[in-house]
Amino acid sequence: MAYPLQLGLQDATSPVMEELIQFHDHTLMIALLVSTMVFYTILTSVTTKLTNKNMLDSQGIETIWTIAPALILILIAMPSLRVLYMMDEVNNPHLTVKTIGHQWYWSYEYTDYKNLEFDSYMIPTQDLIPRQFRLFDTDHRMVVPTDSPVRMLITADDVIHSTAVPTLGVKMDAIPGRLNQTTFVVSHPGVFYGQCSEICGANHSFMPITVEAIPLIHFEDWSTSMLAKI
Amino acid sequence: MSSMFRMVGKQLKTHPSLIPLFIFIGGGATMSMLYLGRLALKNPDVSWDHKNNPEPWNNIEPNQQYKFFTVNTDYSKLKKDRPDF
Repeated sequence: MAYPLQLGLQDATSPVMEELIQFHDHTLMIALLVSTMVFYTILTSVTTKLTNKNMLDSQGIETIWTIAPALILILIAMPSLRVLYMMDEVNNPHLTVKTIGHQWYWSYEYTDYKNLEFDSYMIPTQDLIPRQFRLFDTDHRMVVPTDSPVRMLITADDVIHSTAVPTLGVKMDAIPGRLNQTTFVVSHPGVFYGQCSEICGANHSFMPITVEAIPLIHFEDWSTSMLAKI
Repeated sequence: MSSMFRMVGKQLKTHPSLIPLFIFIGGGATMSMLYLGRLALKNPDVSWDHKNNPEPWNNIEPNQQYKFFTVNTDYSKLKKDRPDF
């Protein structure tokens, strides 16, 4: 999960996020190399004693600095489009979870077999117990099985919200009157946090998303117990 | 119009480094226009023939590839596992 002064992306918990991290590292490396080269060039140009008042143009270097950036951009575009199309693929989901954004909480519905619906409110800071994370933990978590493609249908009840779980590479707007779909696969069990990512009013910062991934054999135990509780 | 091309052709002879520029910019513009054309003509969200095919998005086969590019999904191998509409 996120930690203070974090600079990089969170570790991946889904195959899509792994691809996104690889693409990010690839592109950032290119950007850093180009920036270093430009910075070095500017530095040497500014601190040199050499002057040539008759230099007008040069065909050689102009050809090089047209072709090289074009090739670099192609090297960035190809993985980018590949990851983009990969993120769009719907891969036979095992489970569908409906996520509805409200002011200021999320509600989840698991309606594949029975009618399981519950709300997920952030735990207020004064009510936290020692193992819980401030502004991240919720009273009920969205539980999903590991290693199973999950389809998430997202909408909102009032204003635009956005559900995001960075470690899964998931972000999708929750727009009233519209149903958005995204899919993800959780690679290993754990608890993963995200926060509402579209300004939605006074408590926009206080409606987090908590995803708990458990092995598939235990998933029905949870759904049965939740149905009994609600 | 043709005088503009002649002017550019003369400049190209003295500045051959401009040729890669034409290739990349021209290629990029061509590819963009081709993709926009593909979207206009083959995207099932677009309806041209209001009489014979007014809602193409309702006529997509379960194993029809409508996107330009697939990474992991082989549409020809997909099973049709839902009832006919």
